[in-house]
Amino acid sequence: MSRTSKDSLRKINAVLHRDLGYFFAALIIAYSLSGIALNHIDDWNPDFIVTKTTLDFDGSYDRKSVDDELIGTFSRMAGEESFRLYDFPSERQVKVYYKDATLLVDLAEGSGSYEKISRRPLFYQVNVLHRNSIDWWKWASDIFAVMLIIITVTGVIMLRGKKGFSGRGKWLASAGIVPPLAALILQTLQ
Amino acid sequence: MNNNEQRNQTARPQVLALLLALLFLGGCSEHKNPPLSETKSDNDIGILLLNHGSRSERWRQNLLDLERNVTDRLLAIEGIDGVRTAFMEHATPSIADALESFDREGYRHIVVIPVFLTIGTHMFDDIPTIIGMKDNPESIEHLKLEGIERYTPQAKTHLAPSLDFSDLLKHNTLRRTNALSENPEQEGLVLVGYGSTRFDDQWSELFDEVGSYVCRETGIPDYTTAWCGHIAHYSPDSTTAAINRALETSRRAIVIPLLVSHSEQFQIEIIGGGVSAVENHRERVRYKPDAILPDPKLEEWVIETAGTYARNIEQ
Repeated sequence: MSRTSKDSLRKINAVLHRDLGYFFAALIIAYSLSGIALNHIDDWNPDFIVTKTTLDFDGSYDRKSVDDELIGTFSRMAGEESFRLYDFPSERQVKVYYKDATLLVDLAEGSGSYEKISRRPLFYQVNVLHRNSIDWWKWASDIFAVMLIIITVTGVIMLRGKKGFSGRGKWLASAGIVPPLAALILQTLQ
Repeated sequence: MNNNEQRNQTARPQVLALLLALLFLGGCSEHKNPPLSETKSDNDIGILLLNHGSRSERWRQNLLDLERNVTDRLLAIEGIDGVRTAFMEHATPSIADALESFDREGYRHIVVIPVFLTIGTHMFDDIPTIIGMKDNPESIEHLKLEGIERYTPQAKTHLAPSLDFSDLLKHNTLRRTNALSENPEQEGLVLVGYGSTRFDDQWSELFDEVGSYVCRETGIPDYTTAWCGHIAHYSPDSTTAAINRALETSRRAIVIPLLVSHSEQFQIEIIGGGVSAVENHRERVRYKPDAILPDPKLEEWVIETAGTYARNIEQ
């Protein structure tokens, strides 16, 4: 291959790396944020903020005594003017539904748990993308994944000489393989 | 450089950015199936066999086999004109698709029979929200996030109770325990189920009922329970702990998965993984990675439930 052809290939490589990097910068940050959030899904709710309030209804009730009037009273104590419907998860519980909240009443104990749900700003939106909650977004994710490979490969081969892949690059790339490899070996040995 | 050349130079990145954005979106735009033609007729009652769903093909096949095995007997019941299966998530057809098909075919009533073990968030809140019987705000948000469509049918919907309202589970577990048991007096029973954070009491009560019944019938002295679902973070640890509890007083543990169908994730990875973690498990644990399905009694339960609803509707 002539020197001119090599130079123009290098130029194309640099342009691809630079422009795809700019184009996908926002998505890379969104997926990284969401990745951290979803990694810890067992420790917190990354999608929603659920505000819980415990209420005391002073007294004990039975299922037969539950009617619209009593549910209205419970609701007003929870700060809700009207309810949508109510249902009985068990003999001693009634659950009341509101627009963006629910109230679970323990009839025997006369206590209630009022839960209001709202979307966690930013995390909800990035998680929607990461979980492919929009049907067609999975194709966008596939394209994004291929582009990440292109960005990585063009980055790896961009520089020549001591600071290129054949120089320090090969050592750093090899070191990068160690953590996932160690994790896989440990998992196999367990 | 003249003015035109300068303008062209500055315009290039914007054009490139626009082209990239269009290409990116164009490559992944949604290709919806064309709407099916109207096939309205005078159908009366449709039966929808509804289950949780799984990515496992075997799970799906067991549920489709259930539909195939009961269809003729259901269609023989007066008023019932159609039977369908729907999966809440991870498999198709979805609940919304199945309900929409019943509507398109002009059904007046849809009896939804949930093939679920007992009450849980899915049974109490999610399914009624999907089929338009409830508007639970938490379910609405979660369903949207999981990409599960809601559909309120034009037909009148009737939601039947789950499996725990029948004796089916007791008989099913007894049959499967007997198949593994060799020396009941020296064995301990371990029941493993999905579990529920919010309905823990009801799940524990059901498993206690099934466990005591099987122990009484077989002569196995005691039982323990374990969860393998969200409540246990899908970890095998709960299974291992329950088996070890059983082995404190017994020479051998009999492990029965109380799951509707079979999935590699639950029966093999989680429960199987929990069994493998027990010391000397080959000698001390008997486990078959099976499920409640297939069970002719479950088929009978479906037919009986559908029949009861059909009779009430016809009256």
